[in-house]
Amino acid sequence: MNNSIFHKSMVGFCLAIVLVLAACSSDEESGGDAGGENTVQFWHSMTDTSGEAVEYVIEVFEEENPDINIEATYVANQGEGQNEKLLTAIAGGNPPDVAYFDRFEVAAWAAQGSLEPLTEMAEEDGISQDNYYDFAWEEVSYEGDLYGIPTTTDSRLLFYNKDHFEEVGLDPENPPTTIEELEEAAEKLTIKEGNRFERIGFIPWFGQGWFYGWGWSFGGDFYDVETGEVTADDPKNVEALEWITEFGQKYGVEDIAGFTDSQGSGAMDPFVSGQISMKIDGNFGVAALEKFAPDLNYGVTPIPTPTGDNFKTWSGGWSVVIPKGANNQEGAWEFLKFFGSEEGQRIFSETSRDFSVIESVNQSLGYDEDPIFSEFINILPDSNSRPVMTEGSLYWNALADAVEASTRGNGTPKENLEEVTQQVTEALGE
Amino acid sequence: MKIKGDSDQPLIQESMEVPIRKKSKISGSSATGWLFASPWVIGLILFYAFPLFSSIYFSFTTYSILSPGEFVGLGNYRQLMSDGLFWKSIYNTIYFAIFFVPLSIIIGVALAMMLNMRVKGMAVYRTIFFLPTLVPHVALAVLWMWLLNPGFGLVNGALDAIGITGPNWLGSVTWSKPSLILMSLWAIGQPVIIYLAGLGDIPQELYEAADVDGASWLQKIFTVTLPLLTPVIFFNLVMGAIGAFQQFTLPYTMTQGQGTPDNSLTFYVMYLYDNAFKYFKMGYASAMAWILFIVIMLLTAVIFLSSKRWVHYQGK
Repeated sequence: MNNSIFHKSMVGFCLAIVLVLAACSSDEESGGDAGGENTVQFWHSMTDTSGEAVEYVIEVFEEENPDINIEATYVANQGEGQNEKLLTAIAGGNPPDVAYFDRFEVAAWAAQGSLEPLTEMAEEDGISQDNYYDFAWEEVSYEGDLYGIPTTTDSRLLFYNKDHFEEVGLDPENPPTTIEELEEAAEKLTIKEGNRFERIGFIPWFGQGWFYGWGWSFGGDFYDVETGEVTADDPKNVEALEWITEFGQKYGVEDIAGFTDSQGSGAMDPFVSGQISMKIDGNFGVAALEKFAPDLNYGVTPIPTPTGDNFKTWSGGWSVVIPKGANNQEGAWEFLKFFGSEEGQRIFSETSRDFSVIESVNQSLGYDEDPIFSEFINILPDSNSRPVMTEGSLYWNALADAVEASTRGNGTPKENLEEVTQQVTEALGE
Repeated sequence: MKIKGDSDQPLIQESMEVPIRKKSKISGSSATGWLFASPWVIGLILFYAFPLFSSIYFSFTTYSILSPGEFVGLGNYRQLMSDGLFWKSIYNTIYFAIFFVPLSIIIGVALAMMLNMRVKGMAVYRTIFFLPTLVPHVALAVLWMWLLNPGFGLVNGALDAIGITGPNWLGSVTWSKPSLILMSLWAIGQPVIIYLAGLGDIPQELYEAADVDGASWLQKIFTVTLPLLTPVIFFNLVMGAIGAFQQFTLPYTMTQGQGTPDNSLTFYVMYLYDNAFKYFKMGYASAMAWILFIVIMLLTAVIFLSSKRWVHYQGK
């Protein structure tokens, strides 16, 4: 083999590489505009009823906007703390045009400059806070700019099994309103054999019993938006965690863990099988009960508070956002606008049974007349959203850790919550 | 994050190929050799060496994937030293490694010896013990969550039958790590195959000589089998230690990334991953990765140095 052959082959090889690279880059470019002039790529994580609901929304949108074509892609768990795919797509400069996104994370992503601000477009089209529940709007805003259009919301209440109440001599029409009454009811309802629960009255942290709900119910608060002060160790929050810890110790934390580990979701939810008499859950829990236990005789009531009034809850929910660097932002905005409009909201909420972020839509769908749903709707105007901050995920995980540590006797509630305050404050300070 | 395994192969292949070609051909064709190796070399540099070395730089910054961040010098490392969860994850990881690695060697060697006996249908037994290795980690996690379920799990059911009340395996701070070690030991097929190969390499004459000397079965194991198996044990010790320090998939799927109960299953790489992809702290995570890298390097160096004392190669 002589040099000239080598040179030729080297040149050939380099050419091949150039060709491959060129092919890659042109692929990328055409990827954005593939399938015509106005395609909007939409990543979402919806399956089941909400999956159907979003298909209807897209269908009607495409009918009304025949020039825009929505290309919906299912991305597992997007928004549920697993946004790696979206993250790398944005970092790589090739994101979808629209992403279905948990409002909870909007502030953190906006602070990273990974979402397109929508303030101007919203102003032009007359979309403002007045259209939506306050907390929902606040969650998609960060430092005065709008970064998403809210689409769904929820709230959390105490579910209780009326038959169990009657069985142990409690008034099924008079559910507990104070913490004390809740404890008494839980004690009466619990049937324990050895370290196994035949039935347990209540577990504060089961289901949607996250610490945010308890802190607010006890009168505490977590974050001051004005001063940016983190207040996980608010004395009222400490009281709440002390109560949770005592509750856990009374029934045996490991025995409770043994109980909850043996349970599943859906048809195997212990509330469905009658193994737990009271639980905290969101309105999304109602759909599961309708499906798996249509005859279950249950009621819902606000989460008890120490005083028996000032009931609190918190709401999360979803939004649609435009990731930074999206190709077709105009088309994307049209879709966002439609999804967040009364029409889009009605289509989505009717099929998915998720609450709309627009009060009038919830009313027109009759949620406020349904004996169960009305309880959830009525509390919505007073609902809290989790703190709108860049370290929302850290705060959430740190609080969950504090509850775990305290109930397992690893540090006192006060110490653990002080640590959360310190940890989150430090992270915010960076 | 990936420090072991995948990288070894290309490294070996490349270093073997090039010198061989150099020897046998004239100088122009060594370039041809490079040409053929270039897909490897380019891939290695672009997708492995470059990210690897840039992560050194990133570990000194507040890089968040989406924004380049600022240079903070040793800030990330200093902050790690006062991070409670960082130390807890180190404790959990070392706990796991200290119990898992020796146990996997003892059980692996014992299993290999049993599977090396001349019994009818041995191929079937070998297959049975290798099968769990083929189960994907996520499926493995789900399977064991059912087996160890305190309410209706098979393990506690069996313990009940002999009058023992089993613990709440994965729900208890005390038992969660032992449970994980148990689960990991179940998928031990890979090292067993290597031990089997090592056993096959031991010359039959040595056993015959031992028989002539009147050695018992136990004496043969400790004076012939084990010493001659040490090179293979050495290999599995190094690989096992590296793997144990990188424990991730099993605990992550089992606890949905939460490390419950009470962070007793939060392993080092899990916390690293959360920092990198959940809290937008890729710089912090890079610092963690380099600490892990250095720890694994040191540990491997120690094992290598000590190997002169206890590893016996045949014919030496």
